[in-house]
Amino acid sequence: MAVGLQAEPSFGVPGKKRWAMVIDLRRCIGCMACVCADKAEFDVPLGVWRTTVKVSDTGVYPKVKKHFMPRLCNHCDNPPCVRNCPTEATYKHEDGFVLQRYERCISCRTCIAACPYNARHVLPNNRSRVKIGGVVDKCTFCQHRVEKGLVPACVQTCLGRARIFGDINDTTSEVARLVATQTVTVLKADKGTKPQVYYIKPDRTIVDQVLATPTSAAAKSDAEAFYRHNNGSKFYAGVL
Amino acid sequence: MNKQFKVSRRSFMKLGGTAATVAASLQSSRLVAMEQDLGGTDYSSVDGAKLETVPYTCLACNIEDGGVAHVENGRVVKLEGNMDHPNTRGKLCAKGNSGFLHIYDPDRIMTPLVRTGARGEGKWKRISYDEATAMLAEKLRAVIDRSRKEGDPSILNEIVFKYGRDRSGGAVKRFVSALGSSALLNHTNVCESSKKVGMEPTWGPDIESCDWANTKYILNFGSNILETAYFMNPNAQRLVDGVVGNKAKLVSFDVRLSNTSGYADEWFAPYPGTDGVVALAMAHVIMNEGLYDADFIRDWTNVTAEGLIEHLKPYTPEFAEGESGIAASDIRRVAREFAGVKPATVFSYRGPCKHVYGSYQEASIMLLPIITGNVEKKGGYCLPRGMGWDQPSPVPPKAKAPSAIAAPPLYPLASHHVSTHAPYMVMDGEAKVSVWMTYYDNPVYTYPSSGIWADFLKDEKLVPFLVSFSPYMSETTELSDLIIPDVTYLERHDPESMPGGLYPCLSIRQAVVKPLGNTQEFRQTLVDVIHKVDADGALDIKKYFNFKSPEDWVRSHFDANAKLQKDGGYDFLKKKGVWPIYGKVDKETAKIVDGNGNEVEPEYNLYKGKVSDADMEGAEIDEKGTIHKNGKTIGVQVNGVNYTGFGTPSGKIEIFKESYKKYGFNPMPVYKRLASRDKGADELVLVTYKVNVHTQSRTASLKYLAELYHKNPMWISPNTAAKREIADGDLVRVTSKLGYIVTRAHVTEGIHPDVVAISTACGHSAYGRLAQLKHKEPDSEWALGGDPDVTNNVWWDDKGVHPNPIIRLAVDPIGGSQGWFDTTVTVTKAEANDKYGDSQYDREVAMADYKETLRYTYTGDMHRKNHPEVDIDWSNLPLPGGH
Repeated sequence: MAVGLQAEPSFGVPGKKRWAMVIDLRRCIGCMACVCADKAEFDVPLGVWRTTVKVSDTGVYPKVKKHFMPRLCNHCDNPPCVRNCPTEATYKHEDGFVLQRYERCISCRTCIAACPYNARHVLPNNRSRVKIGGVVDKCTFCQHRVEKGLVPACVQTCLGRARIFGDINDTTSEVARLVATQTVTVLKADKGTKPQVYYIKPDRTIVDQVLATPTSAAAKSDAEAFYRHNNGSKFYAGVL
Repeated sequence: MNKQFKVSRRSFMKLGGTAATVAASLQSSRLVAMEQDLGGTDYSSVDGAKLETVPYTCLACNIEDGGVAHVENGRVVKLEGNMDHPNTRGKLCAKGNSGFLHIYDPDRIMTPLVRTGARGEGKWKRISYDEATAMLAEKLRAVIDRSRKEGDPSILNEIVFKYGRDRSGGAVKRFVSALGSSALLNHTNVCESSKKVGMEPTWGPDIESCDWANTKYILNFGSNILETAYFMNPNAQRLVDGVVGNKAKLVSFDVRLSNTSGYADEWFAPYPGTDGVVALAMAHVIMNEGLYDADFIRDWTNVTAEGLIEHLKPYTPEFAEGESGIAASDIRRVAREFAGVKPATVFSYRGPCKHVYGSYQEASIMLLPIITGNVEKKGGYCLPRGMGWDQPSPVPPKAKAPSAIAAPPLYPLASHHVSTHAPYMVMDGEAKVSVWMTYYDNPVYTYPSSGIWADFLKDEKLVPFLVSFSPYMSETTELSDLIIPDVTYLERHDPESMPGGLYPCLSIRQAVVKPLGNTQEFRQTLVDVIHKVDADGALDIKKYFNFKSPEDWVRSHFDANAKLQKDGGYDFLKKKGVWPIYGKVDKETAKIVDGNGNEVEPEYNLYKGKVSDADMEGAEIDEKGTIHKNGKTIGVQVNGVNYTGFGTPSGKIEIFKESYKKYGFNPMPVYKRLASRDKGADELVLVTYKVNVHTQSRTASLKYLAELYHKNPMWISPNTAAKREIADGDLVRVTSKLGYIVTRAHVTEGIHPDVVAISTACGHSAYGRLAQLKHKEPDSEWALGGDPDVTNNVWWDDKGVHPNPIIRLAVDPIGGSQGWFDTTVTVTKAEANDKYGDSQYDREVAMADYKETLRYTYTGDMHRKNHPEVDIDWSNLPLPGGH
């Protein structure tokens, strides 16, 4: 039963479309092309991101590895942000996009608090070319591109072809085949959000939220500067 | 101000409104059941309108990826890779995606400027392009007139042009040649020149092109393939295809855990400067255990298997372990794995070659794909594939007198020259400067002992007139007397061809938007200057610059290409950006496929082309099989077949290099122990590196990239730090003989315990406000002006500390490369009064380092001392300048 301005869950429902992304962590090289492509696509101002790639090292010299963990809105089939939005500014589209209507948003941050993935932010004012600010924003799965037959901007530019996008309800689609044939994981499955970003994970890669916490002094001091400047968002990127 | 683009509230509402309608009914039109398109078009994220799309060639770095620009209301809003480009395959890296920010950089110089205060004081007067080009022309003409009056063509070499990135397709050379000067200086010796000089005499070209996607085993020596190395984007794409799709193993050697080494199946950290001995030891194992390709060595190299085994005798895995720290057992195992898997490939870049004797290191690494017969195989180690273009006639003749600073005579093998030496040589009176022009170059920031460049370029006696063509106020440009700003790479025209993959192609750069404001393309500036230098026609050089427009000039490069003309000529390139089109990018495999979905395979075995009967007419075959005609090698006969072979004197791969021997260098790949290998117990080797989101000096003010990476703390291993009582994040003083810097420690497991690493991406003292975190300061009157995002939303508070002031000059006497990774330092906790960012350098030490490095040149005392094994007449070496 849908709550809020929310389409019925469409995952696995015959005849319905359900957009989803598969991120093949075996193929992610942490190049940050997706992060920059996304910034450009939406004129995303400094201090906020719709997608990031977390980087971490594990191991002890000389057996050390790097891990790259792309993050974005999970476009949940059961999105808590939508349930919690008091003004119906955020809604779930029938095809699965979780979207934001700026003109209804009062920036109360309830959705930000409700999202278990830190995937939402308050848009700063003073952008370069788009004159909208002070409202909550998020990844749209590039609905404006997808509805015209294109992949999202981050998928378009992904050097390692780690990001794969399509209709998971279409059994012939690449995302459906990958989810069917590979071992995939989603973030915080226990929250019941039914996230639609699936990760193909090599054994060595960590996907949990610990990656959001900076550990080195360099990353911590950056994070402090970030939090000082930008209260409220923990969706923080950095390549150190 | 950035006023050229505005989005009204109404256009925003248009999209919002549509979405609201959809949401209210919770219905949408059914999308066609198909997999989505990968790219090529884009729609406004504001109002959904289709954007105008124009192809171009990237110049964020030097890889020249194919791109398309999406333009909204005359403003470039988005860049993406060109889907028709067979090597870029529709994708751009972080820098490429952010490249349009160059156009709208608030600190972009929008008008020619002439200095009014002291050099470097920052006082400028705005002048017109007409006035600026006239001013430069007058200075140039004065030199030319003096040369003519004195009848001395060498005076023309006082006109110096130094570039870092020249992607003008020959325009710069045409300009300097027309002025009669040879003093055209590049930057290659701070880049990878010793790699080139290790490779060129071996097989012809200066780079390898790996068939990553089809390989089964990859050995990487000191290259950061997945972040920054040559052809990063096309190589990284296919490396992932090879490793994940083709199950190739990636083994990486690097002193630092780059993203490439962190992604590798195995990472080994050799002591800096010992990659070559590891490679020689692997070759030792492969040869001694009979794992080599006997036919290939016999037919296609100028050595024998027996000779190689003999030569490699000293390079046992145990010896290599002693030098490199890599266990002999690992060296044996990796050598056997590599030789036992076919196809396999090898890549190297700056790690091994940026040392004194870096050319030997590259030559040693090249042995591995050669002796295993992986050269030019599918999935192997291939020759680069590029295409050329013609120079429009007439072409100015070569200048009469050679320039010592353009080609220092003590480095006869350094075919890419030794640009680091220019200031020292001018200070020593070996060359004179009247006009110094700087283009896409920032030595005050990017060169070793960088302080010497600031001292040199500030000295009006040594450099009487300094002109910059940069649109950004770099550390070098701010010292200029005159600035004639170029446009950005998205507003200019150039012919291009880069061997970024296995498909040779041509591409163009074109103005995807008109030059912003009244700025003028560099090409036009060259035409204007030449026409003003020769206003009276006395020099007869205007004929070399009779182009109606920059685009007309670039078009003329392709007029004689009959095949391209058949496809539509330059207009085809304008529309598609690249030629030829090999096929489409397969949505699932990313391979280039034809209309039936079958892969369009690249060509392999390029050296096995047949010499035509017509070409054989009048040719001679010597006792080694080399086919000569008109004094040139045109091929090589192997087993009775006349092949085109390799681009070497013998037509074969020359593991034995006669050219090296002529100057007393070892003709075979050898290992020479470096001074840094014998450093003091408390010392560490300082290395530098690039990161995936920055170039060497040009991107620190691009906001998306600066946001991702803006500070460069010094990597140090935990034990090394603990011994010095240094904790993660501590302020440290890094001291070389040249001086010291004060920076912060980044304690990490990902680095060799004898090494500290500092990236070159940040620590600017110029290059715009954002690079210096002065973004709250008001706009300069000559600049484009504030991006409100930058002014208000920058959240970071650290701009980094640049390492180059303390990196010592030390040059490979063979290939001429700067030994970036040969500086030893001590690292201590910062002293009481030290401040983050402090930096000090001693000019006397810099001058002494220059003298010291000359001792290693072929006429120097250290050269002979280091090469007792070379059997030549040491008293009769060729004279300097005689080459």
